[in-house]
Amino acid sequence: MPAVTPYRSAVPRGRDGFDRLLLAEWTKLRTVPRWMLALVAAVVLTVFAGVLVAAGAGTETAGGGGGERPAPDLGVQYQDGGRFLHRPLAEDGSLVARVADQENSHAWAKAGLMIRTSTRQGAPYAAVVVTPEHGVRFQSHLSIVGSADDGPRWLRLDRSGASVTASVSADGTDWRRLGTVRLRGLPPRAEAGLFVGSPEAVRAQRQFGGENVTSVPTVGKASFDGVRMDPDPREPWRGHGPSALTGPGARDHDQDRSRAGEAGPDGVFTVTGAGDIGRYQYGHDTSEMVLSGVLVGMMAIVALAVLFVTSEYRQGVIRTTFTASPRRGRVLAAKAVVIGAVTFVAGLVAAFGTFLLADAVSGAGLVLPALSEGPVLRAVVGTAAVLAVVAVFSLGVAALLRRAAAAITVVLLVVLVPQVVASGMPLSAARWLERLTPAAGLAIQQTVVRYDTAIGPWAGFGVLCGYAAVTLVAAGWRLRRGDA
Amino acid sequence: MHAEWTKLRTTRGPAWLLAATVAAVVAVGAASVASVDVSQCPAPTECHEDTTRLSLLGARLGQATVVVLAVLAITNEHATGMIRTTLAAVPRRHRVLWAKAVVVTVAVLAAGVLGVLGALATGRAVLPGNGFTAANGYPPPSLTDGPTLRAAVGTVLYLVLVALLALGVGTVVRDTAGAVTTTLGLLYVVPLLVELVADPQWHDRLERLAPMTAGLSVQATRDLDRLPIGPWAGLGVLAAYSATALLLGAVLLETRDP
Amino acid sequence: MEATIEVRDLRKRYGATLAVDGLSFVVPPGRVTGFVGPNGSGKSTTMRALLGLDVPDSGSALIGGRPYRSLRHPLNHVGALLDAAAVHPARTARDHLLWLTHSHGLPRRRVDEVIELVGLPSAARRPAGGFSLGMRQRLGIAAALLGDPPVVVFDEPVNGLDPEGIRWIRGFLRSLAAEGRAVLVSSHLMSELEDTADHLLVIGRGRLLADIGVRELLDTASGGWITVRTSRRTEAMTLLAGEGARVAAVDRDTLTVAGLPAERVAATLAAHDVPVRELAAHRASLEEAYMELTRKSTEFTSLTGREA
Repeated sequence: MPAVTPYRSAVPRGRDGFDRLLLAEWTKLRTVPRWMLALVAAVVLTVFAGVLVAAGAGTETAGGGGGERPAPDLGVQYQDGGRFLHRPLAEDGSLVARVADQENSHAWAKAGLMIRTSTRQGAPYAAVVVTPEHGVRFQSHLSIVGSADDGPRWLRLDRSGASVTASVSADGTDWRRLGTVRLRGLPPRAEAGLFVGSPEAVRAQRQFGGENVTSVPTVGKASFDGVRMDPDPREPWRGHGPSALTGPGARDHDQDRSRAGEAGPDGVFTVTGAGDIGRYQYGHDTSEMVLSGVLVGMMAIVALAVLFVTSEYRQGVIRTTFTASPRRGRVLAAKAVVIGAVTFVAGLVAAFGTFLLADAVSGAGLVLPALSEGPVLRAVVGTAAVLAVVAVFSLGVAALLRRAAAAITVVLLVVLVPQVVASGMPLSAARWLERLTPAAGLAIQQTVVRYDTAIGPWAGFGVLCGYAAVTLVAAGWRLRRGDA
Repeated sequence: MHAEWTKLRTTRGPAWLLAATVAAVVAVGAASVASVDVSQCPAPTECHEDTTRLSLLGARLGQATVVVLAVLAITNEHATGMIRTTLAAVPRRHRVLWAKAVVVTVAVLAAGVLGVLGALATGRAVLPGNGFTAANGYPPPSLTDGPTLRAAVGTVLYLVLVALLALGVGTVVRDTAGAVTTTLGLLYVVPLLVELVADPQWHDRLERLAPMTAGLSVQATRDLDRLPIGPWAGLGVLAAYSATALLLGAVLLETRDP
Repeated sequence: MEATIEVRDLRKRYGATLAVDGLSFVVPPGRVTGFVGPNGSGKSTTMRALLGLDVPDSGSALIGGRPYRSLRHPLNHVGALLDAAAVHPARTARDHLLWLTHSHGLPRRRVDEVIELVGLPSAARRPAGGFSLGMRQRLGIAAALLGDPPVVVFDEPVNGLDPEGIRWIRGFLRSLAAEGRAVLVSSHLMSELEDTADHLLVIGRGRLLADIGVRELLDTASGGWITVRTSRRTEAMTLLAGEGARVAAVDRDTLTVAGLPAERVAATLAAHDVPVRELAAHRASLEEAYMELTRKSTEFTSLTGREA
C-alpha cells in the first residue's frame, strides 16, 4: 500500500492532572439544571425545616421551668446545683482540705473545693472535686481543666488575682498541679469553700411500647478534715443553695437542711448536697434540634449524589467518561471530591442560614446558644460536613449498585433506619443502631452531652466517614476490575 | 390490565422487591419482639406493651421496597420510552394508570398478607418466652381477636396505600430518583421532624397529618387513647394522600405529552 | 507507528458466550478500515477492549503500540464514537463537549471548532435530550475529534442517519483518512461501507473471516461476470472455455464470461486476434461478496462446532 504520512495534530496536547478531572466533573454537575435545582432545594428545605422546628418549639424548651437555666452567658445547657459551704477569700490566698470520706451516691458524685465569683446561680466558678468512680476532676464552667486518677484525697485551690490553680496530693505535703483557670470577674472578695453534689440517676423503663427515661435525685454526702483557709477570713461558714434539689421533679429532699454543712467539734465537716454543677444532661439540645432540618435537605443531596453516578450508567455517558479518563479510580475520586465540596458549601449555607433564621424567628420559645461557642460552631460546620460525607457515601453506593432507585433506597434506609425502627425498640438496642449505622454521623450536631447521647460527636462523624471510605474503596475496586 | 400484569410478572425486579418486603416485615418484627422483655418494665403487668404492634413493626422498613416497586412500575416506562408504546396501545391514558394501580395493589396485597402473617406468627412464637404471657395480661396475638385483626388487615392495607401513593408520585414526578426520594422523604423524614416540634398542640396536629405516623396508628391494639389519631381515621389520612397523588398523576398523564 | 491500531489474539468471554475469539488485525493510518460483521459478531466488544472499557481475557489491543488504559491524554490519541445516545438529556451539546475538554485541559476554543466541523452550531446550546439521532451522531463525532486524534474509532456511525447525513459522514470519514489518520468504522451492513472503506475486516462469531482490500474482495467474489461483444462469438467461446471460464451465449454477438478476470479475457482474445467490440466487467456488489464470505464462514464454524 502507498506510503502514508501519519497525521500530526496542530492542536496542543492536553494536560494530565487531577485538577483537570475535578474541573471536568464540576462542569458535568454544573451543566445539568435540575441538579443545581436539587442543590438549591436541599438548602431551602434544610432551612425551612429548621425554622419550622424553631417556630414550633413551645416554651417547654426554654428552660425546663427551672427559671434560671440555661445560664445565658454560657449558652449551653448548664446546671448549678449542689451544696456550697463558703467563706470569703481575699485576692491572694489558698484553701486546703482532705476529703476524708465520700458516699458512693452516684459514680459522678462530687465532693471538693470551690471558688466562685458569687453565690448567684450560674456564676463563674472553679472546683476541684473527688468522685467515687472517676478520680479527681478540676472543672470550671463546662470544661474539665485537669484530672487525676483515683488516689489523692488532699485538694488545694490557690487564688492569685483572677487565676485559680488546683493541686492534689496523697499526703498533704507533696502537691501536684492539676491546672490553672482565669475566672472572669472574680471580685476581691470571692466565695470559697466546700462543695458536695450528686447528679440525678437515670433510669430507663419500658412502658406503652416505648422506653421512658426518668431521672431520680441522689444525695451526696462527704466529710472533710484538715480544712484550712489562708488568710483566715475570720467569718463563719455559710451554707448556700441547693442542698435541696433542682432539676426535673425537684423536691425538697434534704431533711436536715438547716444543719447540713456545720463543722463538727473535731474539725470534721460533714456536708450533704444534691444536684450537680456543670453540664445539664437533661436539657434540650436546641442547636441540634434546629439543625435536624438537615434530614430533609439530605434527601435531595442523596438523590443528587446518586444520580451524579447512576445517570452516567443509564445514559451510557460512563463510557465516554472512561474513554476520556481511563484511570477509573481517579475519576471516582474526582467525583467524590466534587460532590463532597459542592455539598459542603451548600451545607454551610444551609446550616448557617438555619441557625441565624431560627434564632430570628424563635423569639422567646427557644433559646439558641451563641454561634461562637465551640460546640455550636462544630455542630453547624459539622452539619455541612455530614451532608458532604453522606453525599460521598451515596456516590460510593451508587457506583457499587449502578441503579438509582436501589442506591437511593439503600442510603436513605441506612441513614434514617435508626430513627425509623428504633422508636419501638428498647433503648439499648436503639443506641447501638445509632452507634453502628451511618446515622451516627449526625452526632456531630450535638452541642450538649445528654443522658441519651449514644456516641460522641467526633466518634459518630468518624463512623459515617468510615462507611463512606469503605464504600468508596469497594466501588473503586469494582470499577477498576470490571467492564464499563 | 392483563398486559400490565404480564409486564410486572415478566421482569425480574418486582419479584425480588416483593420478596424483600416480606423478608423485611418478618425480620424486623422478629428483631423487635426478640429485643423486648418484660424485665425492662417496672412490672410485667405494667408494661402496657402493644405486642401486636410490636410484631408488626417491620412494616416501617418493608414499605421502602414497596415504594421502589410502585415507583418503578411507572417510571421505568418513562425512562425507557416504553410509556409511548404503552400509551399508544391504550389511547385513554388514565386507564393505564388504573391498570397499574390494580396490578400493584394485588402484588403488594399478596406480599403484605405473607409478611403480616409471618410477623404475627413470629410474635406468637417469641413473645411468651420474653414474659409476655397471658398471665401477665398479654394474650398471644391472634387474628380472632378484633383489634389484632384490625391491626393485621390495616397493616396490609397500609402497605397497599403506600404503594399507591408511590405510584401516584411516580406518575407525577416521572423520574425514578425523584419519586423514590420524595415518597421515602414524605414517609420517613416528616415524622422525624414532627418529633422535634416541641409545642404539644402542633406536635399532635402534625402527627395526625404525617402519612406514616397517621397510617401506622392502625397497628395499635391497646391504649388507643394515647394515639394522635384513631386507627381507621389514621389509615384514612394516608388514603387521602394516595388518592390525591393518584388523581394528580392521572390528570397529568392525560394532559402532558409523554 | 503512532497512528496505528494493533489487535493481537484478543479473547473475551462474557459468562458462557465467547464474544471475541483470538482476533488479530492492524489498522494502518491513511485509509478507512471497515469493521464488518453481523450483530453480535464481536465488533463492539473488540472496540470496547480497544478503548479500555472492557478488560480482555487474553491478548492485547494497542493504540500506537500502547494499551489504551496507559494513555495519559487519550483524547489526543484516539477519538471514539461508541453510542450516540450517550449524552445526559438535560445537558447542552456545548456543555457535553466542555466537560470533555476540561478533562484534558484542552483549549476552550476546541469546543467551537468541533461544533463547526460537524455542522452543529445552531443546536449547540440546546439540551441534547431533544436531539434527533442524526444530531446525536454529529455530537458524538464532535466529541471524538476534540483532541484532534490521529486515530478514530466509530461504532456504527451511519446508524439512523438520513441520506444527506450518510453522504456527509462518508465524505467526512474519507477526508479524515486523507489527512493521514487511521480510521476504523464498524457496521453490520456492508452496503453502508460501500464507497467509504478502503479496507475491510470481516468478523463472524468473534473470529476474523477476512482482512482484505475492498477491491480484492470484489475480485475474488464469484458473483462477477464479463460481457463480451464480438463478431466471432463461437471462436471466442471456445478459446475462453479452454482457459477454464464458464461461458454462455446471450445473443448473436454477445456472451457472458464468469470465473476469469477481465484482463485474462482481453489478453486471451487479443492473442488470437479475435476482435472485441465491447468488453464490460460486471462486478458483484460488495454486499453479495460479503454474503458469500459470511455464508462460507457460518458453514465453516458449524462444521468445526460439530467436530469439537
